[in-house]
Amino acid sequence: MAALPRRIIKETQRLMQEPVPGISAVPDESNARYFHVIVTGPEDSPFEGGLFKLELFLPEDYPMSAPKVRFITKIYHPNIDRLGRICLDILKDKWSPALQIRTVLLSIQALLSAPNPDDPLANDVAELWKVNEAEAIRNAKEWTQRYAMEDN
Amino acid sequence: MEQFEQLLTCCVCLDRYRNPKLLPCQHSFCMEPCMDGLTDYVRRQVKCPECRAEHRIPYNGVQGFPTNVTLQRFLELHIEITGDLPDPTSGQVMERCNVCSEKSYCNVCMHCEKKICPDCKSAHMDILRREINRINNQIRRGVHRLHDILSVVEKNTQSLQNNCQSVSEEIDEVYRRLTKAVKDRTDHMRTEMDKYLTSEMKNLSTLKENLELEIANITSNSDLADKYMIESVEWEDCELMDTKEIFLKTVEFMRNFETETSDYSRRVRFSMACDPNQLVNNLCTYGDLHFIHPPSTTQSNALLQPAVSGIMRSKSDHRLATQFRQQQDAYNGDDEPLLGGRKFGERPKPTPEKHTSDSRYGYDADDQHYDSSRTGKNRFRSRFHRGHHEEEDETESRTVKTEKEKDKVTTTEDAAKGPLSGIFRILDSPRAMKRIQEADRGPREKKEPPKPVAPVVTQVKQVQIPTVTPPVRPKTARQQSEDEIERIKRENKTTAPSSSTESPLADRQSILKKTTPTASSIDENEVSQVPISDIEPQQTTTTNTAVTNNSTQKQSPVRSSSESSSTESTSDAGSTGPPSVKPAEIPPIRSRGAGSASTTSNTVSSPPTVTEEKKPFQSRFLQSRTTVTPPKKEETESSSEEESSEESESEEEAPKVKPVVSTPPVVTTPVRSATSGVTLRSNDTTSSSPRSGILKDSTTTENRRSLEESTLPSRSRYEAPTSTYSRTADKENDTSRYGTRTRSTAAYEPPEESRYGTSSGGSELSRSRSTHALKSRENSPDRGGPEENKEALSSWARYLKNKYGSRTSTKDSPREGYSASSSTTTPSASTYSSSAASSSSPSSASSTSASRRLSLGLPLRQANEMHSSDDDSKNLQSSLASPIQQQVVDTEDTNTKYCTPRTQYLQKRRQILQIGGRGSEPGKFTWPRGISANGPENIIAVADSSNHRVQVFDANGVYRFEFGTYGNGDGEFDCLAGVAINRIGQFIIADRYNHRIQVFDPAGRFLRAFGSQGTADGKFNYPWGITTDSMGFIYVTDKENHRIQVFQSDGTFVGKFGSYGSGEGQLEHPHYIAVSNTNRVIVSDSNNHRIQIFDVNGKVLSQIGSEGSQEGEFKFPRGVAVDDSGYISVADSGNNRIQIFSPDGSFLRAFGSWGSGESEFKGLEGVAIMSNGNILVCDRENHRVQIF
Repeated sequence: MAALPRRIIKETQRLMQEPVPGISAVPDESNARYFHVIVTGPEDSPFEGGLFKLELFLPEDYPMSAPKVRFITKIYHPNIDRLGRICLDILKDKWSPALQIRTVLLSIQALLSAPNPDDPLANDVAELWKVNEAEAIRNAKEWTQRYAMEDN
Repeated sequence: MEQFEQLLTCCVCLDRYRNPKLLPCQHSFCMEPCMDGLTDYVRRQVKCPECRAEHRIPYNGVQGFPTNVTLQRFLELHIEITGDLPDPTSGQVMERCNVCSEKSYCNVCMHCEKKICPDCKSAHMDILRREINRINNQIRRGVHRLHDILSVVEKNTQSLQNNCQSVSEEIDEVYRRLTKAVKDRTDHMRTEMDKYLTSEMKNLSTLKENLELEIANITSNSDLADKYMIESVEWEDCELMDTKEIFLKTVEFMRNFETETSDYSRRVRFSMACDPNQLVNNLCTYGDLHFIHPPSTTQSNALLQPAVSGIMRSKSDHRLATQFRQQQDAYNGDDEPLLGGRKFGERPKPTPEKHTSDSRYGYDADDQHYDSSRTGKNRFRSRFHRGHHEEEDETESRTVKTEKEKDKVTTTEDAAKGPLSGIFRILDSPRAMKRIQEADRGPREKKEPPKPVAPVVTQVKQVQIPTVTPPVRPKTARQQSEDEIERIKRENKTTAPSSSTESPLADRQSILKKTTPTASSIDENEVSQVPISDIEPQQTTTTNTAVTNNSTQKQSPVRSSSESSSTESTSDAGSTGPPSVKPAEIPPIRSRGAGSASTTSNTVSSPPTVTEEKKPFQSRFLQSRTTVTPPKKEETESSSEEESSEESESEEEAPKVKPVVSTPPVVTTPVRSATSGVTLRSNDTTSSSPRSGILKDSTTTENRRSLEESTLPSRSRYEAPTSTYSRTADKENDTSRYGTRTRSTAAYEPPEESRYGTSSGGSELSRSRSTHALKSRENSPDRGGPEENKEALSSWARYLKNKYGSRTSTKDSPREGYSASSSTTTPSASTYSSSAASSSSPSSASSTSASRRLSLGLPLRQANEMHSSDDDSKNLQSSLASPIQQQVVDTEDTNTKYCTPRTQYLQKRRQILQIGGRGSEPGKFTWPRGISANGPENIIAVADSSNHRVQVFDANGVYRFEFGTYGNGDGEFDCLAGVAINRIGQFIIADRYNHRIQVFDPAGRFLRAFGSQGTADGKFNYPWGITTDSMGFIYVTDKENHRIQVFQSDGTFVGKFGSYGSGEGQLEHPHYIAVSNTNRVIVSDSNNHRIQIFDVNGKVLSQIGSEGSQEGEFKFPRGVAVDDSGYISVADSGNNRIQIFSPDGSFLRAFGSWGSGESEFKGLEGVAIMSNGNILVCDRENHRVQIF
């Protein structure tokens, strides 16, 4: 494997030196393209107080293609499915090389504050979110309580 | 500011903009690689990462987008403000890497001569580093060869000096004798002459007086007669009568008197025995000097000449090499062979300014083309310039440049250039120095605070004249000076940041220049450093030889003139002061240089020199015996040498050397040699022996021994030189356990001996024997007499003679032995005695072997033992005749302790014991290979190959001791393979990667080593298996030379057989070897998948097996072993099993399979059979030894 591109090194350095509040991304010891990410649930959201683990992988042609991000912690969210996959446009077709790891993670954090049930990935969740938002939020809180809080 | 910087950062690569291109959406990105990545080649569009706007790519690609000039100005401004160094890659254009074809900033890689990306380049550099390491390892392995050669050269210088000394002394002696003879003769003749003259003169003078008297008388008489014989005077008649008588008498006297009046002018004549002209001629040419110029690679030369192989191949002879160099020098006025005339680390061509700010593609491409063609040429020249001097016609500018370069080179690198190979010390190259300095700088800077600038100069001066101030601590001085230089560097940097690197380097160079002269003087000393180890053993040698001289003087009036004269001359040689005497103990530290120079000068002038100069005694074959007595000293010596070669500190070594040097024996030598010199002279005059010195030697030892062993019956039948042999042979026979062969009182038959002596007949043989006898005597002073003699005896011819002699003359005793044994054994093969009790007593072993044969009713030896068929047919007869006897004694031996080997082998499959497991601690192995279990003490020796040691276990597998470590010195191993124990318990090791054989005493102390890499006789290429026969001959499988070599126990080459191939008698990678007590040589011809059986002369007797996995077939057979009765065990490594064959080669049994459990194998190596019939197997990949 070729050496790590300068951009990744720079990004990693910056992530370490100036971490984004509420987000920590640490590269794996054996693979510098693989990051262990922890995102705190945003305030005023049903995920508040939770610590959500994610994994982030920078593919070979990063930054020309988007990083692969996935939730490891279970989360009740209309745009995140049971496997932790995230429905986020900038991770798909709206990716731009100008985006960075930090911006991606910030976007994900934002996604937690603003679920978009109109573009669902977990259909049942999205359904509930649309039909009975209160219950959905309660579920989300419950899941946060159950999965994102107990082990920290 | 931060925002400013952010604005100058490309959002894609997060780096400062490089060649920013402006998109129509007013966003800018680096042209490479960012813009490239954004391009959608299919749609010929670029999508702006910032605003996601899509833009059509201009016709000529992304370059067609306008450069954001404003941004570029800002970038320049930013650089000016911050003072940052410009981006090194700015202005460069990305290219496809020629290796991984990624786009990157490519540079020419010297490894592949392509333009490649940094990643690939670093990978290539890694490769290069690894290659260098590997080659370096090879060098490290091979450098001992140079050391060997050096020591040989030293030895040669010594012996040459001695030789010349002795010859000139001889000449002097002759001159003295001649002059004395002439003078004596002349004096003698003169005195004779004088004596004669005086006596003659006396005679003549008396004669003269008498005559005068006579004349006076007569004249007076005559006068008287005239006067008075007249009438007037009265005379009486009687008076007249008397007068007449007197006158008559006078007349008669005058008539008769005749004295010798012949020619007195020629009274004495000087006549010469021969024609004086001829005599003068003879004297003029009374002696001639024969200078023997050995042809470069003859065999006789092989002893003296260094190993011809590997590293030295092309320039085996230093004469050739120097010639070659001279030629080369004559050829090329302006070219250097090494590195094609470049300085170390210099790019092969002057790189034109590539980092120009504007990057025109065409120009660069052109440039590159130019470069590559240039390098190609360069390489070509460097490789082929020897023959093609005509290639020189190049452009003027080019040659001028090389001239200049060369000038530079001569100043630094040339100083230390090796005159033979043209290799210089990399350390001397300013570039290398700089690198190393840079590497070392970090830690040192931290340690030592910077010193004031002023001392630099003085310190450098100090360093320059180390001899004056020896106690200067050279190390620190050097460090300080280095530090100073660095300080200067730093200061320079701060004051003039742009042009900082120049001056320190120059400083450094100038210092280097200053130090090089001293350094080169070190070099000379360095050359003389090694011989210390040579001299050291010599000290002890001299005492030895002195003793021998003494004894021989007493007992034999006949002195070998050559030998004693050599000793004498060497004693004198001290005064000539050979350079090798200096105990300069310098590590080859070079450009650390200045410091060590002072220490060396210390050691040079240190007292030991004086003591040492007394005794540069040296004699080629005497030296080799010294190894026993001073093993410890030698060890320290060799270790110190090693250290020095590893660039360790020299200070530590100086004290080490001193005690060694000033050993007491020194004093005795001059006296001794002086006495021997005296005897020489007396001998010379008294007796001129017609025999050669060599023969005399043997006779003297012979005489000596005859006195010592006067109790033994002397064999007057034999001539003097051979009687030694016959007597000792007899002795050996008495102690030998193989009654059949060795009970030889055989008559000595010259023709037979000459048959086996290679070509040169008796004198050769007698010489080798005598020297060998001497050596073995010296070698084992603490061992018992008979053993010693046995060892001394072992010469090829004798051995053969024994074998054959037994056939010719004495069959009585062996046959008695057989019949006796046959009477004590059970007749039936069905008697399976379960007790596998060991028969350690040799005589019983031989009887068992016979009994086994008998009980089996097998014509065991008949088929494949041509050479001893006589014996065997008789054995057979006796065995046929014996059944009755056997029945008679049947009862006596029902519970015999020997079961038949056949049944024993048939029962084998269960592991009795296993030793080892992976590891390097005692009792563990890492890849055990050779194993040996014969030998007098029932021990097991295992070649623990990758731990580079031999481990010794007792018969029960209990660890006893080990010896050997990694290395190529005495007693060190490099992946040893074969191990053998001879009859007197010495360990003989095939030191595989060192291409030599080493011999250790039973306690594991180093005795001697022989062989080096090569293909000549006595040289090896990865020797593998090794074994000895009952006579102490050493058989070595010379694996990569595809042959077997046979040596005497002292390492003298005896014979070889086998060549590469798959035909009969040919070998392909023979691995292991075993010799039966019937002298069948069993070789695992591994890559031919067979076992070949030779007789001791290398004639094929039979072969076993072919490739396959069936019974009796092999895949890469390795270890072989043979028991006392001729059963052969083979480690069939490819099939992971042990196969056992009857002595006639028929398959008996196989056991084992792949795995790591009991009785399972992974990678079989050596096998051995213990005296109790247990089979030992080296299970290499399981790192263990299994016993069955």
